[in-house]
Amino acid sequence: MSAQTAFGAARRGGLFADEAKRLGFLMSLPAQLLLLFIVVFPLLMQIYVSLTYWGPLDGESWIYAYKSLNPLDNYGELFIDGRFWASIARTLFIVVVSVPIEFLLGLGLATLFVDQFPGRRIFYSILLMPMMIVPAVAGYMFFMLFQSNGPINDLVSRLTGLDMDFVWLSDPNLAIVAVMIADIWQWTPLMFLILLAGMMGVPEDQLRAATLLGANSWQRFWRIVLPKMKMVIIIAVVIRVVECFKIFDLLAVMTKGGPGVETETLSYYIYKLTFADLEWAYVAALGLFVLIALSLIAWAALWRLQKAQARAETQPGR
Amino acid sequence: MASIRLSNLTKRFGPFTAVAALDLLIPDKEFVALLGPSGCGKTTTMNMIAGIESVTDGQILFDDRDVKNLPSGKRDVGFVFQNYAIFTHMTVYENIAFGLRVRNVARSEIDRRVRTMAALMRLEDRLEWPSGKLSVNELQKVAIGRSAITEPAIFLLDEPLSNLDAAFRAFMRTELKHLQHQFQQTMVYVTHDQIEAMSLADRIAVMNLGVLQQYGTPAEIYNRPRNIFVANFMGSPSMNLLPCRLVSEGSALRFSFGEAGLLDVAGDSALARRARSAPSADVIFGVRPEDVEITQAGGANALKGVVFFVEPVGARTVVHLKVNGKVFKVTKEKRFKIAIGTAVGLIPPVGKCHLFDAASGDAIGAG
Repeated sequence: MSAQTAFGAARRGGLFADEAKRLGFLMSLPAQLLLLFIVVFPLLMQIYVSLTYWGPLDGESWIYAYKSLNPLDNYGELFIDGRFWASIARTLFIVVVSVPIEFLLGLGLATLFVDQFPGRRIFYSILLMPMMIVPAVAGYMFFMLFQSNGPINDLVSRLTGLDMDFVWLSDPNLAIVAVMIADIWQWTPLMFLILLAGMMGVPEDQLRAATLLGANSWQRFWRIVLPKMKMVIIIAVVIRVVECFKIFDLLAVMTKGGPGVETETLSYYIYKLTFADLEWAYVAALGLFVLIALSLIAWAALWRLQKAQARAETQPGR
Repeated sequence: MASIRLSNLTKRFGPFTAVAALDLLIPDKEFVALLGPSGCGKTTTMNMIAGIESVTDGQILFDDRDVKNLPSGKRDVGFVFQNYAIFTHMTVYENIAFGLRVRNVARSEIDRRVRTMAALMRLEDRLEWPSGKLSVNELQKVAIGRSAITEPAIFLLDEPLSNLDAAFRAFMRTELKHLQHQFQQTMVYVTHDQIEAMSLADRIAVMNLGVLQQYGTPAEIYNRPRNIFVANFMGSPSMNLLPCRLVSEGSALRFSFGEAGLLDVAGDSALARRARSAPSADVIFGVRPEDVEITQAGGANALKGVVFFVEPVGARTVVHLKVNGKVFKVTKEKRFKIAIGTAVGLIPPVGKCHLFDAASGDAIGAG
């Protein structure tokens, strides 16, 4: 809708009859236009391109992409593209293995760190460090560590006395494990940080009341701490699931999706399609599909979150 | 059921002594109030009994069984927190059932006991409510029900009424007393409200600065305060305390209040006998506001006072006077009328006067 029709409505005493509403509309207009430009326009462009065969080699401006118009061909292709579905499955595999491990490690560490002990501050700082390292650098570190003559094989050999010479990053089965180990190493601290904050927020007096009512530490954890942390746990897991789904940088340095396509995740597949295969119209369709799918998942998660919040907010102030 | 014996109980936080060598015997099935101003050590004492706070020195005996090193969950103690500490993520039912669930009591047994307790606390129609939706008054009942359901031998209450509105507080006072008779438990009750302590407790332990000031029945504490602190703390408005000098006048004894006048007391009266045992002639003379009579100014054996404020508080009227530059309060019946600025005579009845040593603050000759 343009501004002109809006003001027309105002004269007829319609939508903008209220002076305050009109002022609010005017004040937010620049921001709305900006949003229109940076969100709505590219999205529309993407939808448009996704319905064609347009690519950079056509030598045509994207505006003329309609010349190769063939609606839904790209979308049809999507459903029979084995590499695409394999990359999704691989990504989901990383998510469903890494995130639970990160969660359990983070929860365990948070349980340790919620109490005071000597050296807590130092260990706390050390534990948070992986999170602050640039992912590409972390990827490089693990690239070095996982070399067949690198420290990890060396350490395992010395500890077990066996001669270990795994070619981690070139082995079709081990490469993805190496990537997941790197991901867990880097992102457990974030999980730990969020879960610790949540755990510190569990009211001390309720824990004390539970103790006085005869609950042992295990019962306190299950019946008080975990239920109280529900919101924080949902937030932490959602953040990590979304982030992990987009995993790219560790792969780009450690395996480049290889060997073959054995560590090719969704992001990495899209990257290869864009810069190696120059299939831009197909990428537009694929990107749109993933966007809608992820939006639906995020919406479902948020909906649940809001329901939980609504319940929490009906409680009187405390 | 259990009695509680605290002997030489001490708690120090670094250099600060919160509770100093406390000796207290709380008999089985009695309702004892720990009373004192903020920071007097009453809550610390209670926390030590519950096992929330460690003991620096001394002993805590439940029925001659030392519980000092027993963890709080094993002491069989019910505890109602000042802010109730209700589990806000559970329903009322789950809250009340908590103590039984963690003891792995059978489900049907839990259900039976929760419903009995809910009926007792009049919470039947709230059982399925999320506890966060309850009013403060209901939270309080849940807190008591939740602790009472495990039938602990000892019940500790930390200022449970201080968050309630005035009307419900009065109601809950009666209710608590009633519940204690029903549960037949030893109850320890921490409060800074002397009216609560007076109306609820079988015995009151008055504390100040970590030291026990006096331990006795409410009547004893009120009528025979052992020192100035207790005298001042109990009663509302509090006791009038005036410094004076003792002078012997032949067989009579004279209390000299400087500009406020003199009081002569027959030498063989109980008050005079007590006064003679005073370690020095400088004493603090105390009399409760409700005991003083107001007469015409200039009468013999009366203190001179000038009315400067009249405060009607519903059931009675509190007359504020200046006596020798100090505030002196007298409570009269609600219809009592007097003009501000009136000079009057004040007669403290001889039998109802208190004497304290000016130096130590201890009561003189009070048995």
